[in-house]
Amino acid sequence: MATFAEPAGTRRPPKGRGKGRDKPVKKRSTWWKTALGVFFTALMLFPVYWIFNVSLTQRSDLRKNPPNIFPVDPTFEGYEAVFDQQLPALGTSLLVGLGCVVLTVVIAAPAAYAISLLRMKGGKTLNFILLVAQMIPAVVMAMGFYAIYVRLGLLNSIWGLILADSTIAVPFGVLLFAAFMSGIPRELIQAAKMDGASAWRTFISVVMPISRNSALTVSLFAFLWAWSDFVFASTLNRNGDMIPITLSIYNYIGNNTTQWNAIMATAMVASIPAAILLVFAQKYVAAGVTAGAVKD
Amino acid sequence: MTVASAAAPAPNGTQPKPSRVKQVRHPNGSPWIAFGFAAPLVAYLLAFYVYPLIRSIDLSIHDYNVRAFVQGNAEFVGLEKYIDVLTSPLFPKALWNTVLFVGISIIFQYAIGLALAVFFRNTFRLSGILRALFLVPWLLPLIVSASTWSWMMNSDSGIINSFLGAFGIGQINWITSPDTALTAVIIANIWLGIPFNLVILYSGLQNIPGEVYEAASLDGANGWTTFWRVTFPLLRPVSAITILLGLVYTLKVVDIVWIMTKGGPANSSLTLAVWSYREAFGTGQPAFSPAAAIGNLLIIIALVFGLFYVRLQRREEH
Amino acid sequence: MIRKHSRRYAAFAAAAIAVGALAGCSSSDDTTDEATTGAADGGSADDGGTAAGGTYTWWDPYPQHTDGSDWGNRVQACGDEAGVTIQRTPYDTTALTNQLLLSAQEGTSPDVVLLDNPAVSTLADTGAIISMDELGFDTSAIDENLLAAGVVDGTAFGIPIGANTLALYYNAEILDEAGVDPASITDWATLNTALEAIDASGKRAITFAGIGTEEGSFQFLPWFWGAGADLTELNSAAAVEAVQLWVDWLDKGWAPQSAIQNSQNTAWEEFLDGQTGFVENGTWQVNSAAEAGFEADYITLPAKDGGAAPAPTGGEFIMAPAQSDEARYDVTRQIIECMTTPEGFVETAETFAYYIPPTAEGQEQFIEAHPELTVWVDAVRAAKGRTSDNLGTDYPLISEQLWTAVQAAMSGAMSAQDAMDAAQEAAAAATGN
Repeated sequence: MATFAEPAGTRRPPKGRGKGRDKPVKKRSTWWKTALGVFFTALMLFPVYWIFNVSLTQRSDLRKNPPNIFPVDPTFEGYEAVFDQQLPALGTSLLVGLGCVVLTVVIAAPAAYAISLLRMKGGKTLNFILLVAQMIPAVVMAMGFYAIYVRLGLLNSIWGLILADSTIAVPFGVLLFAAFMSGIPRELIQAAKMDGASAWRTFISVVMPISRNSALTVSLFAFLWAWSDFVFASTLNRNGDMIPITLSIYNYIGNNTTQWNAIMATAMVASIPAAILLVFAQKYVAAGVTAGAVKD
Repeated sequence: MTVASAAAPAPNGTQPKPSRVKQVRHPNGSPWIAFGFAAPLVAYLLAFYVYPLIRSIDLSIHDYNVRAFVQGNAEFVGLEKYIDVLTSPLFPKALWNTVLFVGISIIFQYAIGLALAVFFRNTFRLSGILRALFLVPWLLPLIVSASTWSWMMNSDSGIINSFLGAFGIGQINWITSPDTALTAVIIANIWLGIPFNLVILYSGLQNIPGEVYEAASLDGANGWTTFWRVTFPLLRPVSAITILLGLVYTLKVVDIVWIMTKGGPANSSLTLAVWSYREAFGTGQPAFSPAAAIGNLLIIIALVFGLFYVRLQRREEH
Repeated sequence: MIRKHSRRYAAFAAAAIAVGALAGCSSSDDTTDEATTGAADGGSADDGGTAAGGTYTWWDPYPQHTDGSDWGNRVQACGDEAGVTIQRTPYDTTALTNQLLLSAQEGTSPDVVLLDNPAVSTLADTGAIISMDELGFDTSAIDENLLAAGVVDGTAFGIPIGANTLALYYNAEILDEAGVDPASITDWATLNTALEAIDASGKRAITFAGIGTEEGSFQFLPWFWGAGADLTELNSAAAVEAVQLWVDWLDKGWAPQSAIQNSQNTAWEEFLDGQTGFVENGTWQVNSAAEAGFEADYITLPAKDGGAAPAPTGGEFIMAPAQSDEARYDVTRQIIECMTTPEGFVETAETFAYYIPPTAEGQEQFIEAHPELTVWVDAVRAAKGRTSDNLGTDYPLISEQLWTAVQAAMSGAMSAQDAMDAAQEAAAAATGN
């Protein structure tokens, strides 16, 4: 791999040139765009702010009419509970999410390559099956997994959960990879073949680098879906020593009482590491040589 | 073609000639090679999807009440459960609600997602971070985000009504009135779907070569015409898959509706998926067979759209 | 080049293994089935499935009580006493019901399960749980009205670990201000007069939970039964009158619109804000009421023509799911007995603020420790099981129609009469009567 990474790396200049090209336009209009962007983001994130607000609210003020826009007289008991109890669950969720990303990309990318670029026989049918597969309700899927895992002894194992969670993302991953890969110019693939590269070589050193963008998109989704899964975790992993955050949040929902500030605090704390991950992933997407790799 | 030529030399040296000749002869490669790449996926599908799918059909053509579910001796009833569902007075209502829920959600999610993707395509100060922040709603467990929406839409102590009140708009009973409950869950669902659309469409925009825009601007096209003449057509394949997937995912949305309204009041926000869930888990007496029948009807609806998509794709290729 | 080839082979090998695993799992059904039945969920190897020693599994709907909590420790202590280890798993209620049916189907049921009482008759009907007779557990000490929810055709299939019920909490300061004497509230007419007075004083009069789930029916039943209505006839004049009572509260602005979708927890939070006169809520809020920023007290729910309305009993039942290895029942019985001694009941009561003990002996000890809660003990003694009156497995079907109709009437989608007519028709169709 290393030998291929280098030549690809030397291809960076076009991107720098692109930046220079944008510059004059950018300078002029950047301020109002930032302002507008901040406004949109604020609007979008208002519910998130509201979660933050509730996470600091005393129980007696929860249903205040009209509500407090700012947490006047805040309480931190929700956060105390979270830092006492929820950190291991957070780690589990991260592990499951990352495991799911790896598994999804490993299965989906080659299959999409076969369907979109190698023109596999029956590829259309496969696409179609994937579509149906996504429609099966998660609960029915979970019942199926339960029956299989009881027999394989995979219940309550982290690997079992990763495998189950990946079923949310794999069909999506194949469809998305295929949609993007079909946009790769055929000449590129042909040229690789003319140079004697095998299908596998072409995949690893031509197709995948170009598909970096879609790989990141698929990874992002695989991570987010695994991160937010409740049904599989609840059916397959309840007894495990490591339970993800979506389950442990139920520690605050009793049969008759609900500790809202702890629930909301959990959601806030849990979203921080994932948000940091997102910011980095986005940076990487932006830096990715995308269109540039195909041109010239 | 720098990538290709840079990548090629290394295998060149050791690659046996015959294979090269063979590949020239079969420009698309041997069918077995293609199957090899897809094999893990096929195995994966067989292992994990076939059983649930069969199970789902099996549940719907037998009379699985709770007792039969546990004991596994359900009576075969053929299509009776489907007929029950289709002739139920709830069916037309749930179907229409589903059409509204899915249709309106998709239109707004896509339009807003695309607008934001185009907006964020221009790099400006903070654009990367702001774009990433747009995904934060997705990191929240659904129970939290859905509860928060019902909190904000509370008739009496909700922030939305208190905000609207400041502009002289009277109390709107978002989730407690049969007139607005569906609107309320649609709004929440649109919010939830924007990140999905933004990510895919933004990714699609990144794949459009910059020269295309350069050419367009040399031709004197302004931003608006560039969008309609260049961006939008080039984005069509990605748009199609985004809408199709959005459709599939929206058809099966349960959690957010369930947490906010339970499909009520008076079934005013009952969609097919929520109905299916309610039959199976919403009452003290689980009825798995009608639930599975409704679920399978949803699969068929998705299939129809899938066929439509495949035809669209074929036309694109010609 | 070797690397390249080995990679491709690795991919094929992985696929082959996956296919092999699939084939293996379908062909070895019979043998593995045998190995997992009767064993703990997850088929842990240290569990031989024999009665002596080993691990016993316990599921309950209390995720808020984590391992190491008072409740968790008590469960463990009862395991220790019986000479076994208890593996306790808490689920939220919906997930627990789901998981229980799934495990019954796969033969991996837990040894002990706790679940909300209307579920008992449904589970008994499936054969997933065994009767208390079969377990060898003596139920004679348990109050008949509290045991009723667990009785199917004269046989008890579970016992309450405690019982709770509903009452009308009030904010004493608001009532004072409006000149309302809580003692004057004895029937619906006097209650309405009180609500009107509070409304006139500028506060919200009352709130309750009308949510479209079993909770909604639970809250509505005292008014329904208090009007003299019967669950077998949802559109009787008395039943419609009860619905109209709630509808009027909303129409007159005495109750908030949000009551239509409120859970009991949300209704309680509204009350805690200190701007509401009354709230219908349960025993479990006693501690929270004492900590409220105002003086809160409670009265029994009035029936239409005076006296206390029959409130439904709430609370979980303890049950023993069927096992293929019947030798396990002996230890299961010991565990359940340990949890249900009079002292055990009082401890449970305190853990769950407050489950009233279901036996006379337990109630005596409880009142000794908490004399201020005598009212609740009386209320629980007078309460009525939801699946009683021989409704059994019909109750969930009727209840679903009931909450749907009440919501429809309150939200203005239908008149009370039309809603209850439709409910009766649907309930009759569903129960086959």
